[in-house]
Amino acid sequence: MLLQLRNIFKWVQLGGQRIFLLKDINLEVQEGEFISIMGPSGSGKSTLLNVIGMLDTFDEGEYDFLNESVHSLKEKYRSNLYKEYIGFVFQSYHLLDDLTVEENLEMPLLYKKIKSSERKALVADMLDRFSIVGKKDLFPTQLSGGQQQLVGVARALIGKPKLILADEPTGNLNSQQSEEIMQLFKKLNKEEGVTIIQVTHSEKNAAYGSRIINLLDGRKI
Amino acid sequence: MLKNHLKLSLRNLWKNRLLSSLNLLGLSIGIGSVLTLLFSVYAYYVADANIPNQENIVYLKTHLTDGNSYNEVTYPLLDKILSTSPEIKAGTHMHGWGNIWLESDNKEFQKTTTYADPEFFEVFGLPLKYGNQSDALIEKYSIVLTDKVSKQLFGEENPVGKNLIAADTLNLNITGVLEPISPYSSFRLGVLLPNTILEDNPIFIRQTNWDNSFSPIFLKLDEKADVLQFQKKVNQLVVENYADPRTISRIELMPYEEMRMDTVPVAKIIINGNIAAAFFVLLIVLVNLLNLNTSTMFRRTKDIAVRKILGGTKKGVIVQFCLENGILVLLSILISGGLFLGVLLPKMNDVFGADFGEISFSFSNDYPVILGAIALGILVTLIVGVLPTLRFISLPISKGIKGKIDSAKSNFLLRNSFVILQFTIAILFICVAIILNSQIGFMKSADLGFDRENVIAANIDLDYKNIDAAKSSFNALLDELKANPYVENVSASQAVPSDYYFNYSTFYDPNTDVDVRIRRSYADDGYLKTLKIPMALGRDFDATLDNSESKSVIINRSAMKAFGWTSIEGKRLNYRNDDSDGFAIVGVMEDFNYQDLQNSVEPLVHYYNDEKDLAHHRYLSVRVMEGKEKEIQNIMNAAFSKVNSRKSFSQELLSQKVSGQYRLIEGMLKTVNVVAMMTIFISCLGMFGLISFMAKRRIKEIGIRKVLGAGVLKIVVLLSKDYILLVGIGALIAFPIAWYVMNAWLGSFAYSISIQWWMFVLAAVIAILITAFTLGIQAVKSAMVNPVKSLRTE
Repeated sequence: MLLQLRNIFKWVQLGGQRIFLLKDINLEVQEGEFISIMGPSGSGKSTLLNVIGMLDTFDEGEYDFLNESVHSLKEKYRSNLYKEYIGFVFQSYHLLDDLTVEENLEMPLLYKKIKSSERKALVADMLDRFSIVGKKDLFPTQLSGGQQQLVGVARALIGKPKLILADEPTGNLNSQQSEEIMQLFKKLNKEEGVTIIQVTHSEKNAAYGSRIINLLDGRKI
Repeated sequence: MLKNHLKLSLRNLWKNRLLSSLNLLGLSIGIGSVLTLLFSVYAYYVADANIPNQENIVYLKTHLTDGNSYNEVTYPLLDKILSTSPEIKAGTHMHGWGNIWLESDNKEFQKTTTYADPEFFEVFGLPLKYGNQSDALIEKYSIVLTDKVSKQLFGEENPVGKNLIAADTLNLNITGVLEPISPYSSFRLGVLLPNTILEDNPIFIRQTNWDNSFSPIFLKLDEKADVLQFQKKVNQLVVENYADPRTISRIELMPYEEMRMDTVPVAKIIINGNIAAAFFVLLIVLVNLLNLNTSTMFRRTKDIAVRKILGGTKKGVIVQFCLENGILVLLSILISGGLFLGVLLPKMNDVFGADFGEISFSFSNDYPVILGAIALGILVTLIVGVLPTLRFISLPISKGIKGKIDSAKSNFLLRNSFVILQFTIAILFICVAIILNSQIGFMKSADLGFDRENVIAANIDLDYKNIDAAKSSFNALLDELKANPYVENVSASQAVPSDYYFNYSTFYDPNTDVDVRIRRSYADDGYLKTLKIPMALGRDFDATLDNSESKSVIINRSAMKAFGWTSIEGKRLNYRNDDSDGFAIVGVMEDFNYQDLQNSVEPLVHYYNDEKDLAHHRYLSVRVMEGKEKEIQNIMNAAFSKVNSRKSFSQELLSQKVSGQYRLIEGMLKTVNVVAMMTIFISCLGMFGLISFMAKRRIKEIGIRKVLGAGVLKIVVLLSKDYILLVGIGALIAFPIAWYVMNAWLGSFAYSISIQWWMFVLAAVIAILITAFTLGIQAVKSAMVNPVKSLRTE
């Protein structure tokens, strides 16, 4: 088992009233799964994803990731945990505008203190695999949305994560680009066994997954 | 990783070219002026570093019972002290007694001449470049040169053993050359001669009694000496030996280290002012960078969040940011170094060189300044690199990634306290400049009790080679001037306003037993007429009464008041313990300001001297018809060109001479003006950067407002009004501080303006106008953007 959420609650205090963002979420994810989270706007999809990715905290409940109790870990260990095992893909890509494609891919490796020669090899490998070698010296703003998201996925993958969290990865893309990215995810899941959890609005994209979780007002339905 | 940081830093700086260059410009100017200001302070403090054991050197200060004080005592006191006090290791007089004319290679020159005792070197330990300290001033006909004078005369050669002819007759043997002395040192030396030469001078010897306090004395105390005990002893010696100890309240032992501040009080103001100005400029520069950096942080929150997700640490973010700022700071230190050496230091020498000497920078001697600048740079980098990141670094990633900061939560004033601080300082400087300006304007145009316009003041104290020949041509000139229809009055005198000697005598009134210390000078019968000084009582001098007139004096109204007289009927000026019947007071002149307006009008007495008596006059004053100054000056030039003298003839308008008294204050004004301009300039640079980021952050808001129908003007006002408010708050804080400081400063003037409300309003208006202009440019630009474009993002 990769991760397990037990009775997760998250709320904000608004004018003396508790507004629940997540309400009693229970979730088990096995390695190699491809899960789609669906639901209308404001149903807590992104919040759930952030909690799973340890980018956000929760107020109540328990969260185990690879047999570590995330809820009792200090922030430093938590960040080490997600640095090591989780890759993120965002709707608006969140590439670093000041860096070239190549440098963007290199960035996570730098933080992992991987040697220069090894870094070069990993980056070249990734560029090759995604067929973006010709784009390596361009800056993100010089690329189309689809290409940027390709780089985003490549960057998420380069650290060899066990889990990829994708927050509406195709939200800013046209249908053809979406198709490409989803095919890529499917391939990664099938061939390399990478666990993927994606948030999406689209039934079609959700169908790529092996399991669909529906949320409404912070509750699993 | 470091390479990566460096690459990113350069790329970031280049990406924000406009901001980076604004930063660089502000930093360079700021650090350049801080460097200049602090260098002058540094030069001042190290100037006396070549005098060892200064803490054991003292000088004697005489306090009078009337509250006055001076740094001289009677001449024989030194010997008395030396012979009775074992706790004194050495002591010396240090007299100026006119600058002696020296001759070398048939060229004559005059240098600042100081007479000292052989123990001079034991007291001060000034190192010699050539010669021995122990015997340099032993021989009577010896002379010690400063390094500067030696270089002028002999170049790099060692001149010890050579001879100089002094005053046409004395053959002086050069016995030593001093190591270079900083122009900011307490020593203003040119050549040093043994005191024994002075003792040959009959006029000098006549002063060396227990009556006349004219001799500066310096002592070196044993480290173990009980200073207070010794001071008591000195005062005891005064009581025992002084001819008239009653006017002396006490003799004070003053530490030598305080002498520069004591004798030139304005030096203290300038040095403290420089420190304060440097501090404020530095503060402004810092605040400016903090402001700009904080505003870039808003843009970078997303960046930081992404980096954290990818595994970046807080430390990494801070290092990156520090590096970026470090590059900027280092670059600006280099630029400011050039600015300092090429522009600012020469400018400062222009302003203060005439009064304090010109200082120069040398890498070998002044390397502490360079080290200081680098240390300062590192400090600045750390502050501006770390502080702005602190607020953003702990932002939760899930918030940062959206680039959202709860700006509404934090207090507007608190958030902009840096901007307020900046403008407080800038407005403070503007206020100071305005008030300084008004005071100088007031002093230059104030009614001084005499008419300074249309008067030529010529210096006629020229060291004539043949005094009799000079006298006859002078008298011929007097006749010619008097016959000239453009000349209204002519006068020869010892002094003119702005240049009265510090020469005092104490007189007393036998009827009331009142002692009055009166400043004295000599004038002829034309002096009051030429300067249009009105008589209050009695009559002016009368040249036709020549013989008896030498026993007549005219006093000013202050002197009459000091004696408590209402008329001068039968009054005389008498010395205490003097059997002669003193001087007849024939008239009282109205008070006029013969000193600058920092001083009030002190009691003054004029003795009579006939105008023809060239040797006793220093000035020839001529009142001419308006517009005819040039013609008369030509006549005088022509007359003096025929006279053989060591000094060359010079003349200027009295009005200029009087204004010249305020040269130093005007120098201070110039500095304040520059600093004020700079602070407001740097503040505006920061403001410019701030509002451009503000506009970027609010680009959607602006777009929405425009879609809803807001005009360009509305948007400009929206963007700027908060900042104008900040300037206003800055002004309100600055006003009381400016008032307090300047009121205290004006208090040191006997005549001063009172601070008016409009001065503050003017300062605020200037600041607001400049700010509004800076804001306007950027705000209009943002307001003109097509809303379709700005709303399309994402």
